[in-house]
Amino acid sequence: MRPVKRYWTRRLGGAACVVAIVLVANFFLFRLMPGDPVATVLDPRFSPEAKAQLEALYGLDQPLGVQFLLYLRRMATFDFGLSFSTQRPVLEEILERLPNTLALLVPAYLLSVLLGTVLGVIAARRRGHLAEKAVLAAGAVSFSFPSFFVQMVLLLLFAYVFPVFPLRGSLSIPPPEGTWRILADRIWHLALPVFSLVLLGFGGWALTVRNLVVKVMGEDFMILARAKGIGERRLLWGHALRAALPPLLTLFLLSLPGVVSGAVLTETVFSLHGVGRFLLDSVLGQDYPAAGGAFYLLTLITVGSNLLADFLVQLADPRIKTGGEESR
Amino acid sequence: MKMRWSAWVLAVFLFCGFLLPLFLKGDPREPVAAPFSKPVWADRTQAPAMSLTVPTGEAGKTFSWSWEAPRGLSVTGEVLFAKTPSKAALIWETPAGAKWVLSDLSGQNRWTLDLDARDMAFRISLGLSPFDESLRGLFDKHGMIRVRIESDVPVERSSLLVKIPGERWGLFGTDQRGRDVFLLFLYGIRVSLFVGILAVLVSSLIGLDAGLVAGYVGGAADTFLMRTVDVLLSVPLLPVLMVLAALWGKGLWQLVLILGLFSWMGTARTVRSMALSFREAPYVEGLRALGAPTFYILARHGIPTVLPLLLANIALGVPGVILSEAALAYLGLSDPRVISWGRMLHEAQSFGAFTTGAWWLLLPPGLGIALLCLAFMDLGRALEEWADPRLKGGRA
Amino acid sequence: MGGFKRWLAGALGALAMAVPLALPAQGAGVDLERIRGPKVRDLYLVVVRDPDAAILALERGKLDILGDVTRPSDIRRLSKDPRFSLSMAENFHMAQVGFNLRKFPWNVQELRRAAAMAIPRDRLVRELFSGYSAPLTTFLPPVSPYCDKSAAAPGLDAEGARALLKKAGWTWNGSGILVPPGSKTPLPPATILSPTAGVAPTTAELADRIAAALREIGIPVKAEPLDFAAMVQRIDERKFDLYLMAWQLGRDPDSLYSFYHSSMDVRGGYNQTGLKDAVMDGLLEALRYSPDEPAARKAAKAVQKALADRLPIIPIYTRYSVAAVSREWKGAVVTKASAADNSWSLLSMEPASGRERPLYWALGDEPRTLNPFTASTATDWQVLGLVYDTLLAVNPNDLSDLPWLARSWKVETMAKAGAPKTRLTFSLRGDVFWQDGKPFTAKDVKATLLFLKKHAIPRYFDSVRDIESVTVPDDRTVVVTMKNVSYWHLHSIGGLPLFPAALLDRIRDWRSWQPSRTPLPGKTGLTELYGTGPFVFRESKAGDFVRFTRNERFWLIPR
Repeated sequence: MRPVKRYWTRRLGGAACVVAIVLVANFFLFRLMPGDPVATVLDPRFSPEAKAQLEALYGLDQPLGVQFLLYLRRMATFDFGLSFSTQRPVLEEILERLPNTLALLVPAYLLSVLLGTVLGVIAARRRGHLAEKAVLAAGAVSFSFPSFFVQMVLLLLFAYVFPVFPLRGSLSIPPPEGTWRILADRIWHLALPVFSLVLLGFGGWALTVRNLVVKVMGEDFMILARAKGIGERRLLWGHALRAALPPLLTLFLLSLPGVVSGAVLTETVFSLHGVGRFLLDSVLGQDYPAAGGAFYLLTLITVGSNLLADFLVQLADPRIKTGGEESR
Repeated sequence: MKMRWSAWVLAVFLFCGFLLPLFLKGDPREPVAAPFSKPVWADRTQAPAMSLTVPTGEAGKTFSWSWEAPRGLSVTGEVLFAKTPSKAALIWETPAGAKWVLSDLSGQNRWTLDLDARDMAFRISLGLSPFDESLRGLFDKHGMIRVRIESDVPVERSSLLVKIPGERWGLFGTDQRGRDVFLLFLYGIRVSLFVGILAVLVSSLIGLDAGLVAGYVGGAADTFLMRTVDVLLSVPLLPVLMVLAALWGKGLWQLVLILGLFSWMGTARTVRSMALSFREAPYVEGLRALGAPTFYILARHGIPTVLPLLLANIALGVPGVILSEAALAYLGLSDPRVISWGRMLHEAQSFGAFTTGAWWLLLPPGLGIALLCLAFMDLGRALEEWADPRLKGGRA
Repeated sequence: MGGFKRWLAGALGALAMAVPLALPAQGAGVDLERIRGPKVRDLYLVVVRDPDAAILALERGKLDILGDVTRPSDIRRLSKDPRFSLSMAENFHMAQVGFNLRKFPWNVQELRRAAAMAIPRDRLVRELFSGYSAPLTTFLPPVSPYCDKSAAAPGLDAEGARALLKKAGWTWNGSGILVPPGSKTPLPPATILSPTAGVAPTTAELADRIAAALREIGIPVKAEPLDFAAMVQRIDERKFDLYLMAWQLGRDPDSLYSFYHSSMDVRGGYNQTGLKDAVMDGLLEALRYSPDEPAARKAAKAVQKALADRLPIIPIYTRYSVAAVSREWKGAVVTKASAADNSWSLLSMEPASGRERPLYWALGDEPRTLNPFTASTATDWQVLGLVYDTLLAVNPNDLSDLPWLARSWKVETMAKAGAPKTRLTFSLRGDVFWQDGKPFTAKDVKATLLFLKKHAIPRYFDSVRDIESVTVPDDRTVVVTMKNVSYWHLHSIGGLPLFPAALLDRIRDWRSWQPSRTPLPGKTGLTELYGTGPFVFRESKAGDFVRFTRNERFWLIPR
């Protein structure tokens, strides 16, 4: 399987490239950020000497070259240093928030793909039908409405006007007793954010599925299959969907980075304690170890899951052309 | 091609965004009414804005009041007495017959007044708690209200102006600072259009060049460019934009550049695939055989071939950029002095539009963005069909 | 209370508004002697960063105390709700415009005076804060016991400003821009630096308005919003004309020394305006090194007078703090200087119905760190302050010193051998215990002071740098001898949080110490985050809450 091997060398090379670029960019971008953290300590009770002490504490008194080498070594070991603002290891801060972000994104994404696929196939079969119109409308919403605006309106409706869902956070105060109650409480807190993401996400997906299936249905082998007398239902869910799978999977991969972007906005609207919100706070607060670490980790996660998903696609269907974008 | 609805919408937006402000008086940043005033058509129990001059005569100014007690009231202007009064005051008589001294004017023959119900001192002098904003004392029920200058000497001149900013204003009400939301909305159109169109032009230029080179020249250039595209596509966009916006400053031009630099990948791919087939076209092969330089072929024949689709691509790319700009502004990463729809949503959320139930602050910018995006998408689709009529059947 | 007559005779004439007004008294002072607590058994500090969420949580009974209500729309909404009582207090916030006195024309005094007369503080406060701030003309916030209200910057008088400049020989060119006396060229364009919306949403706009007001009298100024850190850097590099900045000052007027003494015009120093004035230096030194309270008061007055003459800065406004408390609770402590969200309230509040239940107190931000050596934000100390106690407390009624862990104290000036020195003698209470059950003694105080001094911890550096020696004659007495004379040493030392000596011995690296995550060996439910304070830290759930229980051994609980 030579081409496969070559394909993977290229894929891995590309991935390494991304990481390297992000690493270098990260260092210089955040070093160039205006101001230094010591400057933001504004308290007339701090004398100039006390501020110098603070600067040494942050390690800002070393030359840039030395700082870069130290930085590379630390990045390799996931040691992002201490956050300027919290004085805690950045990795620890991120890992603490990661479960919240995953608990939001994974169900939201899976649900919207599932719902989108089902609706997309239905819309493809019944053209001009209500289902198709719904899919088209939902698709238009997801492409043209600002996601945060839709979420704000949902929040206004379901947490303020009709207080069905909680306002903030991921757990009630005080937290309920018992594992099941805590689990239920968490789900209740995540329901609205997840629902909003599904609402925003399934339309675009459904639209793509519909277009692909419509295209596939018109192809020769489908006409042949229909002529053979295969039932419409099996034709649609079996043959057509399977034929549409490879481009769908590619699209799935391509949309991963966008999901991460969605996390920043969703966590901001619903005040969730996740990685996206952490990144925003760090950027706004000029906390560059934290912002750099979060950004680097987000990239690693997207690149990594991209590769993983690519690999899974290969496993699932070895016939898929190993040309990446040429297949589109 | 018949005139699509999107073309009408865009024309209206362009007119409203760029020409209408020229005819409208007033700075959108200036407060015009009480904060969080409702749209004028929304709630008739609330008072509209009014302003009254207080004449010099003993009778003063009477007016009828038939709304709920407002929050705002201001008295400005000068009073000149013929000679120094020993006892004089600006009096407010309520419908229920209560009498209030808005300001004591004794012992001085010239007074410059600048009273405002927002001043803690004025509120306290009216017996209100520092927290209670409604002027229930002055507007105790519906009926006639009289404002007059009471003094033991004649009033020679008065330019006193009583202003009640009211609780209803304009088409879309006012925001947390009393600014006209409709004006802000109009000014916001500009930013969305400006950033959206310019950034897409930048990205289309980059995408066009990259796509042509990659598709037509091929080889190492192709590999390099397509790797770059892959790299850029696998980096989460919004975090990158956030970091760059925080770093490079938040000006509009910087934003255009940043957004342009990070949204050319799709165009590059489309153009590349067209350039691939263009390269194999018989007449192009002929040109090459005749020894035409690559640059000539691309400029003379390549660009015209991809142009129609490129135009469609431009239109289809605008919504993405507008949404990115709005997202950055919503996250607070835009210049606070530039009025944009994203900024309006940011301010609505951070200044209590939710707790006030001020839906008129949320809906106009949000729906404005959506409508603009929908219009561009429709336009793009129309252009696409025009460029490639086969698509007409394929899509709804 | 109140007692405002409908016919208010002449109290508020025209233009009275330029003088910052005292708030209506919300009570005739609180009798601290009667506070015996804490009475609540469970206390949750709930992290609610979003102000909308905070208001709604309060309304749904998920919060009992909410401080820092700043948005007028929220104040309005809560004031209409009978379930809450609102309180308002003055505080040490102070927004000011600073000049770069190193540069022409800002070193010209009459120009600065004219600028001060051009700024319409009342209008700004009305339009930007809907009145929930006070226009400021003094050089210390009015709530400060040292504030001299007679030493004030001039109020709004644009005509007067023009007349003043004219008299000093300034003219205006064709486009209305000021031309310095004896010159032909008008003033060059200048900028006023201000932070962007990220820090204080209204500040950028405030800077715009101030610039517009200055342009009115011919000073060509434009606002330039910058990221906060970038702005501070520009000011530190002295590359600026004017800036707009807000400070949260401390109780002592000692900060004036940092702002205006010529020795503080160095890198990292706070003399940003670059005031260099021998007379001023003399006055400031008298203030910093005053041996006792009366001398300090006199010196502070003289400094403020001198500032009002020189006007290196223009005071603009000071914010009020507003807090809301659910009426299901009684006993909240409210004074002129402190809204209900203070630690005294936590000591005295109890459910109005008498039925025991947890108290929920809003925390406006995530605590950054619970390491008392690196913690720096107000939120951090809102949490840590419940655990750690100090020798002296501040009386919320008049901001005077109050005996706390020290039953009494003495401030003496020792002038025997060599330079005179301040000696502080604290006599400690005998009924105080650490939360792990061990008695609190003078040795703990000594260990704390020496630890902070030895490690040169930035936060405490200035407080402990002048310590010469600490002696412990007995378990109840601590004597701290300072290297020099200053009354303020009493507050520096008396205000330090105190740590158990046994724990300090075990800390290897104070930077990475995480007391809240390290269980205390042999004590279930306790972590290394323990002190003598009224509440025991139990757990911290990131992003959600910090939980405390009452310290049953707290010395104010009647036994």
